[in-house]
Amino acid sequence: MHDDALDGIRVIELGEGVSAPFCARLFSDYGAEVLKVEHPQSGDVTRRWGPFRGDRPHPEKSGLFFSLNTNKSSITLDPGRPEGREILLKLLARADILVENNSPQQMREWGLEYAALSEVNPDLVMISITPFGQTGPYADWKGYDLNAFHFSAAGHRYCGRPGEAPLEHGTFSAEYFGAYAATAWGLAAVYGRKIAGGGQQLDVSCSEVLGALFVGTENIGRYAQDGDFSSRGAMMSGGPSTIFPCKDGHVWMMALEPGQWDGLVEAMGKPDWAMVELFRDRLERVQNADLIEGKIMEWTLQHTKQEIMDLCQANACPSTAVYTVAEALEHPHVAAREFIVELEHPLMGRVRSLGPPIRLPESPGGPRTPAPLLGQHNENVYGTLLGMSDAELQKLRADEVI
Amino acid sequence: MAEALPLEQVRVANFGWSWLGPVAGQTLAFMGAEVYKIESRARIDINRTIPPFAEGIADPDRSLQNHAAWAGNRSITLNLKKPEAQELARQFVTHCDVAMENFGPSVMDKLNIGYEKLRAVKPDIVLVSMPAAGLHGPLKGVRTYGMSLSSITGLDSLTGYTGGPPIPMEMAFPDPMGGMTGAMGALLALNYRDRTGKGQHVDYSQQEGVMQLVAPAFMDYAMNGRVAGPMSNRHPLGVAAPHGVFPCSGNDRWISIAVVTDEEWEGLLGAMGRPEWARAPEFAKTADRVANIDALHERLAAWTQGFDDHELAGRLQEQGVAAAPVADVADLMNDPHYRARGTFIEVTHHLGFKETIHGAYVKTSRSEVEVRPGPTIGQDNDHVFKEMMQIPEKRFRQLVEDQVIY
Repeated sequence: MHDDALDGIRVIELGEGVSAPFCARLFSDYGAEVLKVEHPQSGDVTRRWGPFRGDRPHPEKSGLFFSLNTNKSSITLDPGRPEGREILLKLLARADILVENNSPQQMREWGLEYAALSEVNPDLVMISITPFGQTGPYADWKGYDLNAFHFSAAGHRYCGRPGEAPLEHGTFSAEYFGAYAATAWGLAAVYGRKIAGGGQQLDVSCSEVLGALFVGTENIGRYAQDGDFSSRGAMMSGGPSTIFPCKDGHVWMMALEPGQWDGLVEAMGKPDWAMVELFRDRLERVQNADLIEGKIMEWTLQHTKQEIMDLCQANACPSTAVYTVAEALEHPHVAAREFIVELEHPLMGRVRSLGPPIRLPESPGGPRTPAPLLGQHNENVYGTLLGMSDAELQKLRADEVI
Repeated sequence: MAEALPLEQVRVANFGWSWLGPVAGQTLAFMGAEVYKIESRARIDINRTIPPFAEGIADPDRSLQNHAAWAGNRSITLNLKKPEAQELARQFVTHCDVAMENFGPSVMDKLNIGYEKLRAVKPDIVLVSMPAAGLHGPLKGVRTYGMSLSSITGLDSLTGYTGGPPIPMEMAFPDPMGGMTGAMGALLALNYRDRTGKGQHVDYSQQEGVMQLVAPAFMDYAMNGRVAGPMSNRHPLGVAAPHGVFPCSGNDRWISIAVVTDEEWEGLLGAMGRPEWARAPEFAKTADRVANIDALHERLAAWTQGFDDHELAGRLQEQGVAAAPVADVADLMNDPHYRARGTFIEVTHHLGFKETIHGAYVKTSRSEVEVRPGPTIGQDNDHVFKEMMQIPEKRFRQLVEDQVIY
């Protein structure tokens, strides 16, 4: 028996893609029992997104699906069918948390809006994660991560060259960010259910979480008071504080405080151009950014990212290598922390995946079982748990409810 | 009557700083926890010195962004360089369920408030540590800022224009994200404590929190040995096209459009009036569009650039296409959607001025969340030291005079 932080917590996941599955995976990492409900024909969309080994698509072999769905059980069920809805309500009656990322309109069509669910289970915490939220004029807009991310102003404000297109991170960052928010608030709502007087619905809009916390904090007070705002490219750079090319890639050069600048000068071998007392003042360096950045780049281009990072770190200058995905994954630090887990999947063989984001020494979490096959746990759930007969199961299958 | 908030019986000592510490505190505070920031006039929190200030008056109690970052947190002052202050900090922790911090891994021990010291006075204390790269491992002492920390996670290597160098995210994305994750760590450990009676020392490595976001590219590396690079606004797994940000009329106005299914492509064709170029075989199926994505994006940009971004988004949505304006900072305040949701609200600070900060960044159907701007320095000293900790008035005054409570 495990002794996990969330032992005894039951989660139903009715969602696909990144946001809801990642939120439910976080619960599962710490011992909650997560039952993933997938559509009988198609299953979770990430089953079709890959990546696939050798680029050969197969719905049971998607790497992204794997990473987002470890530790979960999967059943197939069509909530749009009355029998499907009935079964789902039975499961929700004994659950603590529902995580879903369908459009509010879709949930209403299915008759699965919070008002209906709270009648079945007043203690249920329903976590709804959508691009734009449950209310407001765009609540029923269709949106993917890209749309949610850019509606948060994160790209317009902070990423990309002025005059060129604002940039997303290169991953599903609005959905991951929203899922972290959903998990934290969801845990709070479940933890304090008795004090709060029961369950509730949490309305998580990925664009709003990112727009409020990441962009709003620095910018809204100023805009509301003074009426002006900045856009990407406004970062004071000459510190230095930006990404520079080096011999084998890139480094993030960072020296803001006088001691950090001294460290950088030391790391560079005290070149004459840098031995100017005036340059210990950051604002002076920003004034002379062209000169200083040019000189620093001459130095970075002669060294590897790791050499630069090691030299700077040894001299109390907080510069770091821009690791490729491979370098980050294979780093000795990652190995020493045993952050990568390796699990055996019936069709994919051995798969390397990422461990949990938080370590609880008394109750270590993390992925223990591989992502489920589509409907892998139908017999278990419908037969053993809900006590349906073989004949009933046959009929539901024939009717394509499950 | 407003109902009680879920975390009303949870008290937190927040030794955090920078931007991650405050967000960890505000997240728990929004849901009802009583969170105290421990700070000192001996070294004013740098957040308090960042302009602009309320009504333009420079003062550590008037920094606008500081009040958003530290929303919901209360404040007591302790000059932790002094042993008496360290002793008071340990005593204060006996009144708490959770302590949180995001210093480097050895700092709490040096201040004599590390896990062992706290556990000695409060055996079931939950200490949540949130350093850059975790409490152990060869990189545990790595020096970074929140903005550059993502460089050691692989994430920065994916951000940029296709074929070009990495482009920095010019703000510390790992900080607010880590604050939420740290709050989650506290709640996980409280669940465990309530069931077993045991506290623990939670280790949140910001690096590992951010690395979760790199999973799509990690899996491709782990399975195929491929190393991804900057990918503009394209779909992270390359299975959709068009998928990007396109220019609209006006200054620096853009629209995001993501077409994942053939049905959505049909919708886009309909919205464009089925132009001949778009009906060409090289754009017929998803695989064709992905293979010819540069040409497709160029054509699409030529079409979008004449439209107003909001108008065009509405028109595309009517056709079932995922499209939305690329918001700028002003849109966060002014867009009817954010206004309707009350994403940002004007509050009156207890010093009397008005300011605008975000409200509850997750909306709750039952709990009525109270939004309080960040604290003035030491605003809760009387309550905590005199009432909660029962320090007699005379000794309290001595401690203030000696710059212990300072």
